[in-house]
Amino acid sequence: MLSSLPASFRKHGLKADVRTLLTLRKAMQKGLVKTLGDLHNTLKGIVVKEPEDIGPFTKAYYEYFLHVPIAPGQTLEDAILRSETFQKWKTKYVDEADKDIDLTEEELVNTFLDQVHLTSYDIKEVVNGKKIWDKDNPDLEDEDGQEVDGQPAERVLDKMADYSDLSLEELLERMEKVKDQQRTNHSGGSHWIGTSGISPYGHGGAAKNGLRVGGQGGGRMARKVIGDKNYFPIDRDALLNDNNVDAALASIKGVIEESAIEKLDIPHTIKSGLKRGGLFLPELTSEKFEELKIIVLIDNGGYSMAPYIRSVQELFRKMKTRFAHDLEVYYFHNTIYDRVWIDERRSTYISIDKLLMHNKDYRVFFIGDSAMAPYELSPLSIRNIQAITKKFKKTVWLNPEPLKYWPGTYTIQVMKELVPMFPLTPHGIERAVREMNSKSTEG
Amino acid sequence: MAETKHWTGSDKYLCDPDLAQAFHMARTLGMPLLIEGEPGTGKTELPIHYAKDRGLDLEVYPVGSKSNVEQFVARFDHVKYLRDSQIEILNAQREEKGLESRLSTGNRNPESLADYVVKGPAAIAYSKPNSVLLIDEIDKAPREFPNDLLYALSHRKFIMPESGEIIEVSEEDMPAIVITSNREQELPTAFKGRCIYHYIHFPEKDVMSQIVEKHHPGLDEKVVKVALDVFYHLRRLGLERSPTTREILNWLKYMSDIAPKEATEKIQGLEGVGALIKTQADMERVNRMIGAGDNLGTYLN
Repeated sequence: MLSSLPASFRKHGLKADVRTLLTLRKAMQKGLVKTLGDLHNTLKGIVVKEPEDIGPFTKAYYEYFLHVPIAPGQTLEDAILRSETFQKWKTKYVDEADKDIDLTEEELVNTFLDQVHLTSYDIKEVVNGKKIWDKDNPDLEDEDGQEVDGQPAERVLDKMADYSDLSLEELLERMEKVKDQQRTNHSGGSHWIGTSGISPYGHGGAAKNGLRVGGQGGGRMARKVIGDKNYFPIDRDALLNDNNVDAALASIKGVIEESAIEKLDIPHTIKSGLKRGGLFLPELTSEKFEELKIIVLIDNGGYSMAPYIRSVQELFRKMKTRFAHDLEVYYFHNTIYDRVWIDERRSTYISIDKLLMHNKDYRVFFIGDSAMAPYELSPLSIRNIQAITKKFKKTVWLNPEPLKYWPGTYTIQVMKELVPMFPLTPHGIERAVREMNSKSTEG
Repeated sequence: MAETKHWTGSDKYLCDPDLAQAFHMARTLGMPLLIEGEPGTGKTELPIHYAKDRGLDLEVYPVGSKSNVEQFVARFDHVKYLRDSQIEILNAQREEKGLESRLSTGNRNPESLADYVVKGPAAIAYSKPNSVLLIDEIDKAPREFPNDLLYALSHRKFIMPESGEIIEVSEEDMPAIVITSNREQELPTAFKGRCIYHYIHFPEKDVMSQIVEKHHPGLDEKVVKVALDVFYHLRRLGLERSPTTREILNWLKYMSDIAPKEATEKIQGLEGVGALIKTQADMERVNRMIGAGDNLGTYLN
């Protein structure tokens, strides 16, 4: 059952494995999943592990369960409108409504989303006659007065309530059916809604007394998520820019090393014990290490680097304001000879020897495209870079050049051998930091 | 889990339906709920209000940079133990010399090891059925803490150090565990994998006005509207530190003592905006905006 789910979700860069399925199963056994909306929310709680996952999750979910593929940059509305699933649903919906419905495409999509995201919690709310929390929701006004509901409201509610008691077996069976359909027939989407679908409501879950069922969070949120740059599409492999600088910051936070140990302070215990005439009371001391010492070496020469300087500075500036640790920034042009510059305009400098006098605990980030004429990478330069990596064990190079160009650039190939090199993307930074953390400064 | 009834917030706390569902799901599955979100969006408030509303016991463990799992579960107080045993010797010596005065061990008996076990919030929460356990700001912890914690939480049983006492909780009585994080440090994947995750989205204007209503019920509608306009405008500016729910509530608290009409003017004049703006650079930016002869009030409309 659903065994292809992890693989399919992993394609979207989400973390899904057997445990995901087991947890989902447990949730079903506990009766948490009764509607498609429940399934969405439950899976979201299990699969999504950071805000950046929400976008990919929405995409993966729509593709896997609803068979609505969302192309990069496409809005959710657009994807739904173009999907076969939606067309089938629409035909059915219009049929069952038993009269002419004059709805715009947008309203239809809204109804669709409301139905897809209807959760058993919403149903309970309605059945209990409770006030839905966002009664004042401006979205509601759009729906007011639209006679989309072809049946007496009570019946609809009864129907929904009945469905909420759907047994696990039935639900699984139906899901299985849907899965089969989807595998064999690309258009099986219509089955999840209506008679054989897992959707627990017939048609007309739409409205009664101005109270719209569902759509209060799920539908709207899903709509918001797609196209909101905060969640989607932050491409974690996109080059660092203003939008993903925060994501990079999150990755770079991994460099913080902290530890706190309480240990017995032996000299102090003995000293105070002797003072008390042989009555030894243990004295504890807490040791706290918190170190984040960073040297950033930025290549600010040449046009190739210009677009990235600002984002890189922004990244490290943010880092500084949040942590206020030791952070030093120097500049170089293409490669390092005998000096690095203190200011951007490269007027004052310190010599490499002086740079090497820093404590070996410093972490060094090189940031540059490492693209230069081969003769520029002279033996002197290579020696100095080697000296830096030798002294500072935690050294990495972040390269804004797209990965695919790396093999074609001779100097990148050479530099890569000298310094562990990673792409200047949030994901690359994360890997770089992990690489750093795996190295010890000892020795 | 006995306490698995769906909880949708109390008269003081507006619980977003998504969050309510995630919380319900976590309690039903007996998994911890990990909440992340911008500061000041009420992450910590959830378990506090839930416990209060349902009349449950709440145990809080504020995480700091020196947190370790012993503090969280239980530790054996070696210092007191040694002190008391030394005192016993001392008292015996005094008695030999015929001295009356004795040093007290504060009702603790070195013979009974359980007297020296200092129980942490986890052990206390586990010994009471249906309690609520809040682990606040886990991102402040040393790197190893989340994994240690995970190990502790994945069992329903704690063994007290030295005394060997066992604290066990049945699946039905599991405490509701809520963990909050401000994302200042990335949490280990394995840790996140064992939690139900929820990210609190920043509330939109209509929800925000309901939140304000819950906190300051008597406030004039117009004042709230104007204040929220300013508030969301400030958020859109992309300040270094965007104002959050907590700050708008504080600001309105300040305004609530003033007559509505006057308050509206004050808000439009950005009086007391220091409650919203937290950094020097942001303040300068906002000042520049007003200083340009641009009345923010009209600018907004």
